[in-house]
Amino acid sequence: MSYSKENVESIVNNGLSRRSFLKGLAASGVLSSFPGGILQANEDLNTKIPYLGEKSYKTFRNACPRNCYDTCSIKTYVKDGVMQFIEGATESTYTRGGCCVKGNSYVKRVYSARRLKFPMMQVGGKGSGNWKRISWDQAMDIIAKKLLEMKKEDGTLLGAALTKYSGNFGITHYGIEGMFNSIGYTTRLAGTPCWPAGIDAQNLDMGDMWCNDPEEMKDSKFIILWGVNPASNSIHSMKYIYEAKKKGAKVVVIDPVFTEAASKASQYIQIKAGTDGLLALGMAKIIIDANLHDQKWLDANSKGYKEYKAYLDKEIKLDNVSKITGIPLAMIKELALSFAKAKPATIWMGYGMQRHTNGGSMIRAIDAFVAVSGNIGKYAGGARYGHLNTWGFNYAALSMPKPEGSVGYTGPEGAKGDVAQGKDAKSNYTDRFLNINKTARELINAKEPKVRLLWVACKNVFAQDFDRNQLIRAFQQLDLVVVADQFFNETAKWADIVLPVATQFEEYDVNVSYWHYWLTLNEQAIKPLFEVKSDLEIAAMLSKRMNQLQAGSCTFPQSVDTKAMMVKEFNPGIYEQFGIKSWEELKNGPVKAKAVIPYADGKFKTPSGKFEFYSDKALELFGSALPTYLEVRKPYDKFRMTSPHSRWSLHSQFQNLEWMEDVHPEPYVYINPDDAEAKMVKEGDTVAVFNKQGLLRVKAKLTDNVQAGTVLMYEQWYNNNIYNVNELIDDTSSDMGAFKTGAPGVALHDTFVNFRKL
Amino acid sequence: MQKAFLVDGSICLGCNTCAMACKNQYHQDKGILWRKVREIGAEEYHIDNNNILPTLVSYQKAPTAEMPMERFYFSLACNHCENPACVAICPVGAHTKDPETGICKHDQTICIGCGGCVKACPFGASKFNEKMGQAEKCSMCWERQADGKTTACVQSCPVGAIAIIDLHDPKYKEYANASPIGIDYAINAETKPTTRFIHPSMPKEVYRLPKG
Repeated sequence: MSYSKENVESIVNNGLSRRSFLKGLAASGVLSSFPGGILQANEDLNTKIPYLGEKSYKTFRNACPRNCYDTCSIKTYVKDGVMQFIEGATESTYTRGGCCVKGNSYVKRVYSARRLKFPMMQVGGKGSGNWKRISWDQAMDIIAKKLLEMKKEDGTLLGAALTKYSGNFGITHYGIEGMFNSIGYTTRLAGTPCWPAGIDAQNLDMGDMWCNDPEEMKDSKFIILWGVNPASNSIHSMKYIYEAKKKGAKVVVIDPVFTEAASKASQYIQIKAGTDGLLALGMAKIIIDANLHDQKWLDANSKGYKEYKAYLDKEIKLDNVSKITGIPLAMIKELALSFAKAKPATIWMGYGMQRHTNGGSMIRAIDAFVAVSGNIGKYAGGARYGHLNTWGFNYAALSMPKPEGSVGYTGPEGAKGDVAQGKDAKSNYTDRFLNINKTARELINAKEPKVRLLWVACKNVFAQDFDRNQLIRAFQQLDLVVVADQFFNETAKWADIVLPVATQFEEYDVNVSYWHYWLTLNEQAIKPLFEVKSDLEIAAMLSKRMNQLQAGSCTFPQSVDTKAMMVKEFNPGIYEQFGIKSWEELKNGPVKAKAVIPYADGKFKTPSGKFEFYSDKALELFGSALPTYLEVRKPYDKFRMTSPHSRWSLHSQFQNLEWMEDVHPEPYVYINPDDAEAKMVKEGDTVAVFNKQGLLRVKAKLTDNVQAGTVLMYEQWYNNNIYNVNELIDDTSSDMGAFKTGAPGVALHDTFVNFRKL
Repeated sequence: MQKAFLVDGSICLGCNTCAMACKNQYHQDKGILWRKVREIGAEEYHIDNNNILPTLVSYQKAPTAEMPMERFYFSLACNHCENPACVAICPVGAHTKDPETGICKHDQTICIGCGGCVKACPFGASKFNEKMGQAEKCSMCWERQADGKTTACVQSCPVGAIAIIDLHDPKYKEYANASPIGIDYAINAETKPTTRFIHPSMPKEVYRLPKG
């Protein structure tokens, strides 16, 4: 099971892998008791169903809550209580009647034979595969007793930890944090593996992370898609980019990988990974030297431009920029000058770019370039990254009071996560925050009290967190691991108790995007299948049992339905922003926030109220007030490994569905033909990709979409394949993230590996 | 009137939304796709396993070899041929050609599962469903169209890369001979397939890092 460096050779030679380990389990009959046994669904909905005409169906409003730019508005067609098919809601100009390949597989997700159906307990210890069906009452009894026992023994509930992230971004799902708030001060895995370095960067520069409406891009005259691949990961944005292109705009993709978006652009510029910040600094220098910068805007709206310009003059040598980024100087000049001349022009920065050890500094450098070009605060302009400006809900599900007499953490104040954790009055205690991006080591190292119970919700820890071997150790040392999920994934295998969770079609919720400006109601379209429960219902059941055992030990309501909670989340601010009088209006379809151009009034939420080239906060936190060039992590193995998001999955969701297996059955490692030739690897060969962290066996695809010296593997979880790219990724931090989300991001794309034909 | 699919490879993202939207609408069994997104430029294309005979469509390396794998695509379902082989061969009349729309329909309540259509179709459009012992294929969502909606694939395409056209409309004359790039699509085959294609192209400027 261990993939320490010494073992790599023996693994390569002897073929020992987790796959064979699991095969062994299967042979011993242990595994067969789970997926094939009691969890097996009845006959699933299969075989052609005819379309019976609009009138034959009852329709419901739903939303895709799965951490995607597009957050599609869905219309669900139900007949005789059974979901038949879904469509994109035509009311949303963004979704425009469509979903994506993943969204269109939702019916299969709901009715998948592989869904978790009943609470289960692993009786032979974590990873034993020896499962037993239990009742909800039994499950709640075990968990409640454990919590109360810990509280008694430790004097606090800091031994109870919650790790929840992005599997469901529906607003009522913050009730899981609410559940933990309601039992006392607890431990949270805080931060975000997704976009923290960029959030910090944008907050340092502009005091917020707030992007223009993506639908405006249709009127942009110049668009740079910088390290972002909307053709795979935000497909509904592509129509605006196409529209701009059709109207004559230039669309440039800057990316180390020749992505799907690059193939549809006007120009593709390949760049050496981790040098994007330097390119942006060079481009800024070029347009300032050519006097194409927006001096008027800079004078009125920025702080520290002089210092920034002085830095560019002194430190940025264009020949060096060309050499380090790998891009010819003439091309850089042409790009910078034509961007500066086109008005409005915009840059969309992807979350991949900031997953380097210098990620935050790269986003700051690009922000600065857009500012210098005078495109911030402009219609169809902007330094686009993401925003939470349409997320002004009450977070009623989250804001639970602590039980009387709760004792908590007294150390330095910790992290908060993407969304505020409630408006508690000043207290002597706080929750304890551990870095979500170092989950394994943080769980192991936490002391006084040590973590004894872990609750996993909306998250597949083993597919999303790093350093697998240490994760297994961390899970094994815990007294009780509870995993609430819809499928029996890798994380569930290491749980003590698995709780089956409802899909969004089985509960009420409300959803907004971190990219577009639409608000969508999510109605309960079908009755929950089997014994699945919503996360809120689970919280209520736990509260009930805890209070039965010890009155007053949990403040969460003892019964709650998702609709009531959803209604509680609305407030006059939301109604005003979206131009509605009541949430019920959302039954007619999604609505869009009133048009607003971020920073058009020149007001920034920075300490100076201006765009800050020079940030005192940045100096204090990261040692550099200016957006400067920071070198990327040095290689520690032969090839850089990049692990972007796949179009077939949202993190670890969707790829496990049968329908998805029909269009994308297996994972690959993408290797440049030159590298493959040197290693005598041919298309279709199985190769071992390995480094100090671990080893993966995967089929090779040869393509110069990937530059020489780099291999690419997509991030996802397969149902029948042990493949997991995060096995090769250590938890090295990126430069920023701790400022706003409480923990730095992870330098995922600064992973280095070697490979060999098997 | 002859309804036909127009597939715009110049904007197709290869996202497979069309293929999955079709599954979402009709719940095809595992292994069966009525619509399939294929890559242009790959040496070999996946041939559907359940085609009994090799198809007329020969998948060759694209002539524009600079188009890299997994970046350029064409989406293909049933061609609703003007002279469909499936209609001609079906012994029980399960396949019919709609005189109004030109849509080639398959009626599963009549189908005896002889597999003749699967053998006869030069494009692999008819699939054999082992579970049901019957054939099935793209219906061009005629039920949806009759209900005033468009096809599931057209509605779901995020960029409008698939459209339904009337092949006999002079507006679309320029596409008359556009087979998918690099593919011997047999546009002149006896069955007269109707799907038309707009070809993809590479970005005007492509810069890749020099080797070494």
